[in-house]
Amino acid sequence: MPIEINWQLLMPELVIASTLLIVLVFDLFDSISKAVLGWMTIVGAGIALWVSIQMHHAGTVGTQFNDMFKVDNFSLFFNIIFLVSTILVALISMSYLDRNDRKQGPYYLLILLATLGMMLMAAGNELIIVFLGLELMSLSLYVLAGYFRESPASSEAGMKYLLLGAFASAFFLYGIALIYGGAGTTSVPAIAEAIAAPNKSPLLLAGMFLLIVGFGFKVAIVPFHQWAPDVYEGAPTTIAAFISAGPKAAGFAAFLRIFMEALPNLQVEWGSVLIVLAMLTMTVGNVIAIAQTNIKRMLAYSSIAHAGYVLIGLAAANNDGISSAMLYLLIYCVMNIGAFGVVILAKTEDGESLMISDYAGLGLRKPLLAMFMTIMLLSLAGFPPTAGFVGKLYIFKSAVQAGHIWLVIIGAINTAISAFYYLRVVVTMYMREPEEELTFTSYPSTLVVGLVLAAIGVLLIGILPSLMLTPAQNSVF
Amino acid sequence: MLLSIVIFLPLLGVIAIALLRGFGATAVKGIALVIGLLTFVISLGLYTGFDATTATFQNVTQEEWIPGLGTKYHIGIDGISLWLVLLTTFLTPVCILAAWNSVEKGLSGFMMSLLALETGMLGVFCALDLFLFFVFWESMLIPMYFLIGIWGGERRIYATVKFVLYTMAGSALMLVGILALYFQNGNSFDFTTLSGPFEHSHLLFLAFFIAFAIKVPLFPFHTWLPDAHVEAPTVGSVILAGVLLKMGTYGIIRFCLPLFPDAATHFTPLIVTLAVIGIIYGALVAMVQPDLKKLVAYSSVSHLGFVVLGLFSKTSPGIEGSVLQMINHGLSTGALFLLVGMIYERRHSRMIVDFGGLAKRMPVFATIFMIVTLSSIGLPGLNGFVGEFMILFGSFITDAFSKWYVVFAATGVILAAVYMLWMFQRVMFGTLDKTNEELPDLNAREIVVMLPLLLFIVWIGVYPKPFLSKMQKSVGLVVTKVQTEPAMGRAEKQMLRDPQLVLQETQRAQREDIEKEAETK
Repeated sequence: MPIEINWQLLMPELVIASTLLIVLVFDLFDSISKAVLGWMTIVGAGIALWVSIQMHHAGTVGTQFNDMFKVDNFSLFFNIIFLVSTILVALISMSYLDRNDRKQGPYYLLILLATLGMMLMAAGNELIIVFLGLELMSLSLYVLAGYFRESPASSEAGMKYLLLGAFASAFFLYGIALIYGGAGTTSVPAIAEAIAAPNKSPLLLAGMFLLIVGFGFKVAIVPFHQWAPDVYEGAPTTIAAFISAGPKAAGFAAFLRIFMEALPNLQVEWGSVLIVLAMLTMTVGNVIAIAQTNIKRMLAYSSIAHAGYVLIGLAAANNDGISSAMLYLLIYCVMNIGAFGVVILAKTEDGESLMISDYAGLGLRKPLLAMFMTIMLLSLAGFPPTAGFVGKLYIFKSAVQAGHIWLVIIGAINTAISAFYYLRVVVTMYMREPEEELTFTSYPSTLVVGLVLAAIGVLLIGILPSLMLTPAQNSVF
Repeated sequence: MLLSIVIFLPLLGVIAIALLRGFGATAVKGIALVIGLLTFVISLGLYTGFDATTATFQNVTQEEWIPGLGTKYHIGIDGISLWLVLLTTFLTPVCILAAWNSVEKGLSGFMMSLLALETGMLGVFCALDLFLFFVFWESMLIPMYFLIGIWGGERRIYATVKFVLYTMAGSALMLVGILALYFQNGNSFDFTTLSGPFEHSHLLFLAFFIAFAIKVPLFPFHTWLPDAHVEAPTVGSVILAGVLLKMGTYGIIRFCLPLFPDAATHFTPLIVTLAVIGIIYGALVAMVQPDLKKLVAYSSVSHLGFVVLGLFSKTSPGIEGSVLQMINHGLSTGALFLLVGMIYERRHSRMIVDFGGLAKRMPVFATIFMIVTLSSIGLPGLNGFVGEFMILFGSFITDAFSKWYVVFAATGVILAAVYMLWMFQRVMFGTLDKTNEELPDLNAREIVVMLPLLLFIVWIGVYPKPFLSKMQKSVGLVVTKVQTEPAMGRAEKQMLRDPQLVLQETQRAQREDIEKEAETK
């Protein structure tokens, strides 16, 4: 049977796939300056971003490959999140790779591959496709986490990520198998039809729980989070930024698609599980983050806590809950990559400054850098008028609507807890004197562009949230 | 429009300073002062244009902001917020002038924080949208955090973090309350369409009240205040005591009392007890403080206890007195902190034991200090007396709580005289220490800073009518709302909101009437 292919529907994915092929080919020529590869990645992702935005505006809907691949505003909105993350990460990576004297070709290739995997996950209308996307993304990330081969920390991060990630994939695959056993299909709409009947097969329930475990590993929710701090700390900082942003959003995209579209009839069961996980994730993430002295580890625990906030939206399981989770993921990606960008920039002559105490006096010595960091941290902490505030408020609102008052109270208290450690960095930057005089490298222009974009995004969404809020609300499947 | 200009002009000043700070310290100070004065002058237009014959909100601006979240840019003032707006715009230029020479590092950042703080505070007093209110409420924390944390004293980091965390813990609960109100208000954050009774009104009341009580601060939530005051720079203390604390009492008048009258009645005994404890406890602790600034800080706890007492008397004189006392406390405590700051700049000590006999050396300082001290105590003829008298009078005639509370509260007035006069005596009279012999008296700038404060201290004391007359209608509305027990049921209220239902209801009634008529025939 010939397959009719609607190329237009696949445009964003095709653009990324061609970009990565071009990068692969150009990497072969030694005569070409390797900086070009980074720019190619940015241009390719930029075109894909533009195409995705246009398709989102037009409200494109359609399926491909026997309904296995579904393009709708939901997947397109997530494409926007992934591509924004990819562009920002590429921007902050260029000078970082130069500085550490790394090969650039495979780096960008792997980033693009991971991006493609994420896009597949968001568009997967079939559990197997989701799994394919997940593996494409994860395998690329394992390599990227260990990209600094001779650094023991980086290798350890890659190894640890690989082992635990493979474990998670196995859980996920087992879950798919059990759901197939219960529903007789792996297609998302068909599963929903198959379990419309009131009797709930234990196989389905077991499969559902295994899926939660698998996703829980991928998006680092408590109690499946242990890998995150070690990997973030050991991996190259740009990759830590990348892992904390796009892949987390991709995990949630598949999570939303499968649970809201395939398993809505099991909502009573997974809803209560998610409430408990959300409470645990927020609280554990924030409380442990307080004790951190290494800024990368602190950001790792903070990113765990933020997954908890997103889970509040998932647990609400109403339209506002879905769109608030999506909006929050977008905001979170921008502000988190921004914060990691400052960590990269705040490098001293003798290496990266990774201890929070290294930031003492930054406010006076590097006012611009400190200002960027302050904007990102205030947004992470959820202070107005930054995007983080709007995102958090919207999530809380959807949960109140769903009647989860206690979840919101715990979330709100967690916001206050998180303010403590975010503000501690601000305290260190502005209110403590440096212990020793540190010299800073100059500002690489690409990194500054990335930071400026992130800062503008955070403030713009904070002051005029409708810019992204309306698209997010139009993206619920 | 006028109100929006008043709110956002200081923010414009922040941007101007950020762009022009390369031109040196004088330019930065000049911009800040000009913007501060301009804001005050423009805000006077709010006073002259204010219609005192109505309790409705005036100078209202309503624009779409985030339709997807059901929130609008909706601002306006009534007779209560008018005064707090004026107090804010008045104190800010005074503070800028007072900080003229005392900021050693990061002057532009200091002035930017001060002006940003002004925008945040004004926004809190003017917001008529719960979301907008919360935005301003939270965003005002950041500049204050920097003011205390960067330009404060030795333990500034501890103090500023404690201040932020206390406030955030309170506002976290308030946020939940706001969201819960949103769904009971027909999916809108609009304040003006809010009308009770609400479901779970006791819990909602507490969610708001705790946030405000921390800000006031009501005993036992007050422990952040002495730390913040002692560590804050002079100007930070003035703004903190003058305006920030009033955000708490303002919130009680604006939200807790009119929205949840039944819950307010239910919790009155508890709250009034805490207020009276605060009055006496604050006064007693103030009495034994060796540090001038700490003494003034604890006196704030005592004075704000009076304000809360007056509010929960739920009578017109009580609440009017409270609002007036909010202004009074802003003026006289602000002035006290300024004076303490001036003496600290000269002597680099705030310990009472280090002083004595200053009246001989600094006669102008001593005179001004005397007037402000007496105003704080509540001497007739000065502002403090009018406010405290009205509060005690209102509390005495109310049925809301027993007169014994008032008897105990009144001892606070006596205790205030004890700790203030004793402090004054130890600082100003007695033998002049050798180290203090060279202390110069106030210079022209410092006198200019103090004069406007003194003017209002005397004015309110002698002729408070222009102040009271503007707030009467608005306070009257609060009193009616809080005293009339909710008569309408929830279903009826829902109906009133929905014209379709009203129509159906009248049609049904008409039909029944016709049927009845037919039956009787």
